[in-house]
Amino acid sequence: MPLIIDRTLVAEDKWTTVAEDQAIPADGAIILPLAQWLEHHDALKGREVGVQVNGDDNLDQVLALNGQVELIVVDIPAFTDGRGFSIARLLRRAGYAGQLRAVGDVTRDRLAHLERCGFDAMLVPDDRFESETLNAFDEVSVRYQGGASVTRPAYPQS
Amino acid sequence: MYQYTEVDQKLVDERVEQYRDQTRRYLAGELPDEEFRALRLMNGLYIQRQAPMLRVAIPYGLMSSTQLRKMAEIARTYDRGYGHFTTRTNIQYNWPTLESVPDILAELAKVQMHAIQTSGNCIRNTTTDPYAGVIASELEDPRPWCEIIRQWSTLHPEFAYLPRKFKIAVTGGPEDRAASQVHDIGLHLVKNEQGEVGFEVLVGGGLGRTPVIGKQIRPFLEGRDLLSYLEAILRVYNLNGRRDNKYKARIKILVNAMGIDTFREQVEAEWAHIRESDLRLSQSEIDTVKAQFTPPAYEAPAADSALDAQLAENETFRIWYERNTVEHKVEGYRIVVVSLKPYLQAPGDITDIQMEAVADLADRFSFGEIRATHHQNLVLADVKQSDLLEVWKILDGNSLARPNIGTLTDMIVCPGFDFCSLANAKTLNIAEQINEKFEHVDYLHDIGDVRLNMSGCINACAHHHVGHIGILGVDKKGEDWYQFTLGGSSEADASLGKVLGKSIAADEVANTIEKILLAYIDLRESEAESFLDVVRRAGLNPFKEAVYAADH
Ligand code: HEM
Ligand code: SF4
Repeated sequence: MPLIIDRTLVAEDKWTTVAEDQAIPADGAIILPLAQWLEHHDALKGREVGVQVNGDDNLDQVLALNGQVELIVVDIPAFTDGRGFSIARLLRRAGYAGQLRAVGDVTRDRLAHLERCGFDAMLVPDDRFESETLNAFDEVSVRYQGGASVTRPAYPQS
Repeated sequence: MYQYTEVDQKLVDERVEQYRDQTRRYLAGELPDEEFRALRLMNGLYIQRQAPMLRVAIPYGLMSSTQLRKMAEIARTYDRGYGHFTTRTNIQYNWPTLESVPDILAELAKVQMHAIQTSGNCIRNTTTDPYAGVIASELEDPRPWCEIIRQWSTLHPEFAYLPRKFKIAVTGGPEDRAASQVHDIGLHLVKNEQGEVGFEVLVGGGLGRTPVIGKQIRPFLEGRDLLSYLEAILRVYNLNGRRDNKYKARIKILVNAMGIDTFREQVEAEWAHIRESDLRLSQSEIDTVKAQFTPPAYEAPAADSALDAQLAENETFRIWYERNTVEHKVEGYRIVVVSLKPYLQAPGDITDIQMEAVADLADRFSFGEIRATHHQNLVLADVKQSDLLEVWKILDGNSLARPNIGTLTDMIVCPGFDFCSLANAKTLNIAEQINEKFEHVDYLHDIGDVRLNMSGCINACAHHHVGHIGILGVDKKGEDWYQFTLGGSSEADASLGKVLGKSIAADEVANTIEKILLAYIDLRESEAESFLDVVRRAGLNPFKEAVYAADH
């Protein structure tokens, strides 16, 4: 699946996603569901670990990942499920500076919003990706509100 | 009124091109139906029974004569020569084609207009008092605050995919002409004990299947904290509102499920994080926006009292003056309500020619501005008393001077089955029946204020729950029937109407209203006791007897 990081298509992705019922591989960079991570994190000290969360997870546990992991993946089960936008804002506000990746129903017309809320990485399904998709970020350049990186609203500048 | 900066203009221009591309991708089969649906809704485009329907935003109901002329031009070029004003002070076109919508949006952008967020599960057009800035009882003009909210909510990246749509209304004083208590958030400008002006904040009001009156979440919020507080409410809602059932997804359901106290705790906890952030409005930001809403250059009142003589001479003019004009805070001026409820026409409909006539009147007599009201009428807010006779003549010549504002025939009616694919019953034919029955009834005027609201289904677009008389269309084995509620109000004393009894057959609706009104005349203690007062004092029983007695 095409992975966009910082508005650029990247070829390599070192991370392997481990499903809930799957054994944890012995080496390599892994992405675990939140529950698995909570259960095994002591044993995983020193490994490259990312955690995948979703809108149903306990928000305090999600925010507590800040400082603990290198990658946080937010699963967006349907493009209409806007919880991921708020989760991203809260993680960035908490100071999380690692990669924040959106996966699931992640498609072109949401990419700019995702970026503004703090996602730097987006995994787009194969059948929904074209090279033109990368144009989505700058379609509307005016930002009335602050976002994750630029917090100042637009109107005082005008 | 607010004039776009370069930044504002750029936003709407870019948005038009973005939507043009989305439409192109949809027509080329690159964009799935369901995704295009969400995108077109956020640009105000519904697909309805007859054709697509385009809803254009009129921020807080305020428009210039140039904008209204553009709306007329669009009605003529892309539609069948008319538009429809809604209860959220927007305008709807019922017959554009899907392919033409990008061009319509481009035309609108030329006059600082758009259709952004007039539909979809996002923050909708903020509404306010149509008499903002011209009514004496107001503490402060609410429109600068509406404009601040407009900018903050427009294309907000975090709140574009909320559980459900989200509506905010702002009032400037103790009177409520914006139905603020049945909005997701209601903001009331109030004074605290120190004499500072700020907002009382209500949350969780709404109509639809589960009508609820909003609950107070904060008795006083400083103006500079407005955006951070709104953002906190929206964030708590976005994270916690139900997404499994669209009928349970509005914030009112969340507030009721959590309880207002728990909801408040969560909002205040979130607010504590962002209160001191860049969302705090500086006084200079507030002043910059306020400077765009300064009063027009009123003239000192003319010494002559021609008006009194004109009123004495011309009874039709006098009746219109009494019913359709309102006291202005500046001596020598009057607020004129333009009735969009002419005899036997769909309430809120207006033709291109009528729009142009109103635009001309605004230019000649009301500083070039027009407002739309929650009751689907228009307002010329600043007419000199000495011009009233001429304004009336022109309105009358364009069928815009029916003297019925606030009376039974000033109904709020949704389009119902004729245009809406969700409808259970027709509404426009019933509105006609009511008009026919009451057109020549002489007691209508001494009945005074009666609010009749009629929706074609439980979605309650016409706010039937808060009509003094509410009518809801229901489908009984393929036939249209109508359920009555009495005692609702959307004003400062907001209340939900109570069901009168079993529903009424289509051809009996007007007769039933007559029975209700005659019962009211019987029951009232004096002419000063309004219909709503009587329903509140006497309860529903006497009305039940009047309506259903013959059945027993
Ligand atoms: C003709 C096509 C229309 C359709 C398909 C439609 C659909 C709907 C639906 C489904 C709802 C309920 C949403 C909910 O409770 O979450 C709703 C609410 C509403 N509609 Fe419409 N509507 C239409 C026309 C109109 C018109 C013409 C007006 C204005 C006169 C209007 C004003 C409203 C308002 C004010 C509400 C909000 C009621 C509330 O606070 O819950 N709608 N509409
Ligand atoms: S109340 Fe029902 S019938 Fe009327 S416009 Fe709304 S959805 Fe359609």
